[in-house]
Amino acid sequence: MKRLQIILILLLSLLVCKGSFAAPGDALRYLPVQHAGRIKPYDTFAKETLELVYGKSTYEGRGAPEIVLTWMLSPSAWEGKKIFEVRNHEILKAMNLPEGQRYFTGEEIFANEHFQMLMQDLQAKRESKEKLTPYFQALERLGNQLGVFREVAGGNMLRLIPPKEGNTWIAVSQFQGEQQTAFSALTRAFIDYLGGVAQKLPPEELNKAAESLDASVLKFEEVAKSNNPELYNHGSRLKLEVQYNHFHPFRWAYIFYMLASVLLLLVWTMNKPGLMKYAWTLASLGFVLHTCGFAVRMYLMGRAPVTNMYETVVWMSWGAVVFAAILEMIYKFRVIFFAGTLGAMVALIIADSAPAVLDPSLQPLEAVLRSNYWLTIHVMTITISYAAFFLAFILGDMGLVYFIRGEKQFEDKLQKISTSIYRAMQIGIAFLAPGIILGGIWADYSWGRFWGWDPKETWALIVLLGYLAVLHGRQAGWFRKFGMIASGVVTFSLVIMAWYGVNFVLGAGLHSYGFGAGGVEYVSVFVLAHVLLVIYASLVRKKLTV
Amino acid sequence: MPQNTSDSKLKVSLRRTIKFLASLKLAVIVILAVATVVAVGTIVESKLDATAAKKLVYETFWMYSVMGVLAINLIAVMVDRWPWKAHHTAFVLAHIGILILLLGAMITQKFGLDGTLRVGIGQSNQYVVVPETDILVYSSFDGDRYTKLLEKEVDFFLDPPTKEKPLQISALDSTIKLTDYKRYVIPSRKVMAAKEKKGRHGAGLRFQIQNANIKVNVIEWLVQRRPGDLVTHNFGPAALHLGPAPEKGRGANEIYFTPQATGDLHYVVFKKDSEAPIKTGNLKEGEVFNPGWKMPIEVRALRYFPEAEEDWDLQERSAPTPLTTAAVKLEFNGEEHWMLLNDTLKLFSEGAVYIVSYGNRRIDLGFPIKLNQFSIDRYQGTARAMAYKSQVEVPDLTGPQTISMNEPLKYRGFTIYQASFQEDPNTLQPISSIFSVNRDPGRAIKYLGSFIISLGIVMLFYFKKKANKGKTS
Repeated sequence: MKRLQIILILLLSLLVCKGSFAAPGDALRYLPVQHAGRIKPYDTFAKETLELVYGKSTYEGRGAPEIVLTWMLSPSAWEGKKIFEVRNHEILKAMNLPEGQRYFTGEEIFANEHFQMLMQDLQAKRESKEKLTPYFQALERLGNQLGVFREVAGGNMLRLIPPKEGNTWIAVSQFQGEQQTAFSALTRAFIDYLGGVAQKLPPEELNKAAESLDASVLKFEEVAKSNNPELYNHGSRLKLEVQYNHFHPFRWAYIFYMLASVLLLLVWTMNKPGLMKYAWTLASLGFVLHTCGFAVRMYLMGRAPVTNMYETVVWMSWGAVVFAAILEMIYKFRVIFFAGTLGAMVALIIADSAPAVLDPSLQPLEAVLRSNYWLTIHVMTITISYAAFFLAFILGDMGLVYFIRGEKQFEDKLQKISTSIYRAMQIGIAFLAPGIILGGIWADYSWGRFWGWDPKETWALIVLLGYLAVLHGRQAGWFRKFGMIASGVVTFSLVIMAWYGVNFVLGAGLHSYGFGAGGVEYVSVFVLAHVLLVIYASLVRKKLTV
Repeated sequence: MPQNTSDSKLKVSLRRTIKFLASLKLAVIVILAVATVVAVGTIVESKLDATAAKKLVYETFWMYSVMGVLAINLIAVMVDRWPWKAHHTAFVLAHIGILILLLGAMITQKFGLDGTLRVGIGQSNQYVVVPETDILVYSSFDGDRYTKLLEKEVDFFLDPPTKEKPLQISALDSTIKLTDYKRYVIPSRKVMAAKEKKGRHGAGLRFQIQNANIKVNVIEWLVQRRPGDLVTHNFGPAALHLGPAPEKGRGANEIYFTPQATGDLHYVVFKKDSEAPIKTGNLKEGEVFNPGWKMPIEVRALRYFPEAEEDWDLQERSAPTPLTTAAVKLEFNGEEHWMLLNDTLKLFSEGAVYIVSYGNRRIDLGFPIKLNQFSIDRYQGTARAMAYKSQVEVPDLTGPQTISMNEPLKYRGFTIYQASFQEDPNTLQPISSIFSVNRDPGRAIKYLGSFIISLGIVMLFYFKKKANKGKTS
C-alpha cells in the first residue's frame, strides 16, 4: 500500500520534471511576443495562430512554432497547402466548395469568385449592427484566417521588440539596422536547423544546429532588450507559460480521476473496500494536478480564472471533486466519490476536446470585468454551486440505471444515492443563493442596480427556484427516492441553460462578453436524451410495481 | 349558541384558508410560476431587448400577481408556525429575508431613479434621461414666444395610438392627432417638394462635392426650415451654406447658395484671405461648377426644390438593433408627418405655430456635472479597451473627481457610474462620456434582506446537522 503510494508520487514528480527541462532548440519558444493585448511566449502565439487558421495546434505532425515562422520566411511555399479550415457548411455551399472537405488552400478560398461578395455581406451585416448569426460568425472567422495569415506572412503580426516610446511593439517588417541583422541571423539558424532535421543529420550535428539557433535567439533577445529594457522584463512567467502549454495539467488530472473512478466502481459494485485507499490516492494525485493547473493559470493572468466557459468548467469540476470528497468523508457511501471523480473526469475531457466552444487560451479581460473583487467572488460562488448540482446529476444518472435494472434488488443502493442527491442539492442551494446575492452586490457596485433582469442572472435565479421547488416538494412528501433521482437529472437541464444556453442559445444581455456559438445540437441532444432516460426509467418502474 | 358556532365556523374556515395559503403545495406552485414567468422574460429579452422584456413581462400584472402570491405564501407560512420556537430560527430568517428583499425591490421601483447622463468633453450637463416618455406641445402666434399647451406622459410601447383610437391634442385653432406608432424603425431622412406651396417652406438642395481623385466625395442635403434661414454643411477645408449671402466674405472657403424668388438658385463663392466674392452665378439641377479654390473641387447640384419639405423614410423592423428607434405619426390640417423618438416637429396653421416634442423625460439633478477629460486605457498594442475613465467636476467638491468602470462617484444621494462613451464616427476619438445616474432608496433594505437570507441558509445547515446528531444519538 505505502509502496504503491510512493510509486505514484514518483510518477507524478516525473511528469512534472518532463515538462520543466528545455531541450536544445527550444529557446525560440520562450521568445517574448506582443499579441492580443499581452506579452506571451512565441510558443503560445504560434499555437493560437495555427489554431485560428488551421484549427489544430500541429500541422502534419510539425509543431506550431515551426509552421508559423515558415509562413513568414517563405510564404510562397505555403501557397498550395491546405491550411485554411472551414467548418461551416453554409459557407462551403455559398462558395461552391466540396462540403465533405474541411481544409482548403488560400487560392481555393480567397480567389473564389464568391469570397468578396460574402465579405461584403458580412460588412453590411456589421453595419446594420444586428447580432451576428453563427453563419456570419463563421464568415468573420474566415476573414480573420485570411487576415492573420497575410499579416504573419508580411511580418506585421510578429511584434518582437519593445518600442522606445508608446506601448505598441515593433513588428518584424519594421526592424532596422541591428535589429534586422539579429533577426536575419535567427532566421538563418532556424532554417539551418530545419534543414538539419529534414536531412536527418546525426544527433551531435543536429544538437549543434539547435544550440546555434538557441544562441541566435538569445542574441536577438539582447538586441530587443537594449531597445527598451523596462518593457522587456518578463522573468520566469513566460517560461512557466510554455511549460503550462506542454504539460497539460488538466489532461493528467482527468487520467488520474479516470483511474480512481474505475477503482471506485469496483469498490461500489463488487464491494471491495480494500481498494478504497488506492482510489483516494489516485484521486488526490489528480486533484493536486488539477489545483496546480488552476493556480498556474491564475498566476499567468493575475486573476482568478473564471471568466469564460472553459475556465468555469475547470473550476466546476474542481468543486465537484471537493464536494464529493467532503460528503464521502461524512457518509462513506462510496457512490458519492465515484460520482465526483467520474463527473470531474467527464467535464475535463469535454473541456479538453472542444476548443472551438470552450476556448482554453489565456485572454485579457473585457473592460466591464476588470479589477473587481466582487466579480470573482460571485462567479466563483455561483459556478461552484453548479458543481454540487452536477454531482446530483451524475448520481441521478446512476440511480436511473438501478431503477431500470430493478428497484427491489438495489433498494439499499438507491437509498444511498437519493440521500446523496438531497445533500448535494442542499450544498448547491447554500452556494447558489448567496452567489446570486453577491452578483447583485457586484451589479449594484459597478452598474448601480442590484437586480436588472439580465438573462444570466435571471437564469441563475431560475436554477435556484427549480432546486427550491424540488426541496419543498420533498418536504411535502411528493418526491421520494425516484422523485429525487429523477429531479437530480431533470433539474440539471436548468443549470445547462443558465450556464451554456444563455450564452449560446439566448445570446443577449450584459454578460455578452462570454458569448459564442457552437455545440448547440450536441447539448440539446444531451438534455433530450436525459429526459427520455427519466421517462423510460419511470415506465420500467411502473411496470414492475403494477 | 348560534353566535358561537358561526364564530367557530369562521375560525375553522380562516384556519383552513391560512393552512392553504401556507401550504407547501402553494409554495411549489408559486416557485414554479415565478420561474416560468421570468424564463419567458429572458426569451423576450433575447428576441427583442431589455426594455421590451421589462414592459412585456417583468413589470406586468402577471409578474406582480405572482410576486404578490409569493409574499402572501411567505407571510402565511410564518403565521402558521406561530409561536416560533428556537428550531424555527433558520426557517423564519430565510423566509423573512425574502420578504424584506421584495419590499426593498418595491421601494426601488417606486421611488428610485435610474437614468443616463451624457456629457460632452469640456461641457456640462445636469439633466438625466429616464425611460419614461412624454409628449409636449408648445404654441406661439408670433413664432418667438411659446407657451406650453400640453405635457403628458405616454407609453406608446404598450398603448400605441391607432387610426381608430388616436391621441387627440386640441390646439388653439385645430387638432393634432397621433394616429400610428412603430416600435422599431430605421429612419432615413427624405426631402421632397412641398405639397402645398404657400411660401411657408424653405428651399432644399442636394449637392455633391467631388475632387478628381475621388478622395473627397460628399453628398448631402441642405434644407431650410423656413424661407430665409441659413443652413450650413461644414466639411473641414470649406463650408457650404443655403440662405442669404453676406456682402463680404469672412476670409474662408465658402459658397453661399441663395434661393431667388424666380425659382433660380444663385451662388456666391468666397475664398480664404479675401473679402470680395471670387465667383457668382446661377446653378441648375444637374449642373457642375468649379469654385476656383486652390484645391481642385467640383460642386454639383443633384436636386433643388425651391420649396422643400422634410420627412422620414421609415424601414420597419421586427426587433430592435442599435440603429432602430421608435416613431409616431401625426396628423395635422390634413397632412401626415412621422416624428422620431426624442425629436421635435414644427407645425404651421393659418394663425399659429406649434412645436411638438416626443421623447424621454429629462430630470434635473439640481447640480451640473462638468466633464473635463475622458480617457480610454487600452491593452498594450491593441484597440481593445481596458478601462474608461472620466474626470468630472461637481459643485462643493474641490478638484476633479475620477469616475471609472466599477469606481462610481457618490454625490448628494446619487451614484454616478461610468457606463459608456461616444466617439466621433470619422475620427474615432471619444467626444462624450455616458454615465448612468442612480438613486436607490431601497438599497439598504435589499442588503438587509440579502443578509438575513444568507444567514438563514447558513443556520439551516447548522440546525440540520444538530437535528441529525440528535436523531443518531
